[in-house]
Amino acid sequence: MSSHDVALAVYVLFVLGGLLLQLLSSRDGSRIPSLGSVITRVMRTRSGRVGIVAGWAWLGLHFFAR
Amino acid sequence: MPRLEKLGAGEHESRHLSPAPAIGAAVRDPIIGILLLAGIFDWLSGNAIHSVLLFTAALALAWDAIVPHPIEGTGPAVPVPTRLGPIPVAGALAYSVIIGGFGRYSWTTTIAVIVPAGAALALAWRRRGHAGPGPKRLDPVGEVAWASVFVALALWELTQLLLQPSLTTDSYAHPTISVLTDPVLTTHPGRSIVLFLWLALGWFLLQR
Repeated sequence: MSSHDVALAVYVLFVLGGLLLQLLSSRDGSRIPSLGSVITRVMRTRSGRVGIVAGWAWLGLHFFAR
Repeated sequence: MPRLEKLGAGEHESRHLSPAPAIGAAVRDPIIGILLLAGIFDWLSGNAIHSVLLFTAALALAWDAIVPHPIEGTGPAVPVPTRLGPIPVAGALAYSVIIGGFGRYSWTTTIAVIVPAGAALALAWRRRGHAGPGPKRLDPVGEVAWASVFVALALWELTQLLLQPSLTTDSYAHPTISVLTDPVLTTHPGRSIVLFLWLALGWFLLQR
């Protein structure tokens, strides 16, 4: 298994981990919140709103802008 | 960020924060630290425009915590529509198809991305906190679980970045997420789809 394959496998693990948490959040009485709830909670403050939206803006710049 | 008690109608802009706790709050705010750290790495990677955005957001938040200012949430509400009609959706599609036709890292694309990004940041800055039925407090178990995924992902991405020959030279053996998405973003349809998804994510976030 090459370094490239290991790197890819770890990225896939993170995606699966996120999907698992999202699935667990949909169970009745779950202690795991959905990702949407987490984002909503973080964005209750100006700091959280600006931080999250800055992250989104950065994504656009990173993939497309100079 | 420091908070004062809710003010009644007409009381806004009359109370100020004392500097000492405000400075402490700015230093403690992890979001400011994360933005500064990301800005430094982007600067070192040669991405001046990206780092300026991150530094600006970090400094604005630090200023917000340090300098006496009107209490958050007392200004006019900035409405964001919860449902988009066909015209904004058609506009987003047209934007994605047209801008996706330009090359990545061109000035046209750069400006076309900066404009909605800046507008969204301004909205996020001015907007009041979510007043709907969202969660007041999350279970610590859930907070730790989600934080673990994102922190671990960030550390793995950073590891791949540092294992590259240099910060500005891609590596097949140690690919960052950017390197993995390059094949998609080299095509016009790929760029258009990702741009549309980016706009949709921004709209979703502004609903929070």
